[in-house]
Amino acid sequence: MKATEHKKYLFEICEKIDLDLNSPTCKKLRDHLAQCPNCAAYYDSLKKTIVLYRDYNIEMNGSRVKEILTRLDLSEGSRQSESSAFDGETLGDEPLKINIPKKHRH
Amino acid sequence: MEDDTKLIEASKAGDKRAFGKLVKKYEQLVYSFSFKICRDKDKADEVLQETFVNAYRGLKSFSGNSKFSTWLYRIVTNNCLMMHRKESREPVVSLDEANLFHGTDELQIPHWGETPQDSVLNKELKEILDEAIQKLPLDYRIVFVMRDVEGLSTEEVGKALKLSVPAVKSRLHRARLFLREELNPYFAK
Repeated sequence: MKATEHKKYLFEICEKIDLDLNSPTCKKLRDHLAQCPNCAAYYDSLKKTIVLYRDYNIEMNGSRVKEILTRLDLSEGSRQSESSAFDGETLGDEPLKINIPKKHRH
Repeated sequence: MEDDTKLIEASKAGDKRAFGKLVKKYEQLVYSFSFKICRDKDKADEVLQETFVNAYRGLKSFSGNSKFSTWLYRIVTNNCLMMHRKESREPVVSLDEANLFHGTDELQIPHWGETPQDSVLNKELKEILDEAIQKLPLDYRIVFVMRDVEGLSTEEVGKALKLSVPAVKSRLHRARLFLREELNPYFAK
């Protein structure tokens, strides 16, 4: 099999990595992984990458409830936060505008 | 545990104890998500506080069409983006798929050894993970953390970030490949 064919599978691995590979839609990929050690290694390493980050958790050092409520009491009805995340926008639960740099848009 | 709707309604009516309960319920989630984006405990703490201040001030306009947690994720994301833009110029990193598949022409992909389980991630490994993800542009990092680490659906991520589903998938795809490449030298046998 040509390298380009393998690359096609590598892309497919990334697309389907969070699916159950036992599902019928993944049969072709599953069959390929069973007979291609390189793609199987790639699949395994990609899955481990995700699991490593998922397992890296961090606990807070004590509750911040008091601090937050105190801060709100002090500032309530007076100043707007200088670093408000909303830039004066109404805070509805519609998606907020996030300015993604053009170079990263797709 | 009281449900969110009641607590939100009470908070809107000015019941600060109800809002305190919401903070208590979600502070770990907000802190943890902030840390996973900022990779810095002090910044995560700052974002945590700013997020709940923003949430309290904006609570009246929260209509409940999305989950409260999704709404909080969105506020955290904006706070992190603003902090990041104030502080730094992002390094230029190529997320061209041709680069991300570097070496695969030869198709000698090394096997990774066993990776440590959750509770035993040591300090050195945490530093490696932090360093790798900090190289990932923030827009991609946010999508990766929301989707793969926090477990939001692709649709929820798209809604929170105002991105189309294909755009979320594209960023996720590139982020995963980038991180795998970054970690490869440490785990390849």
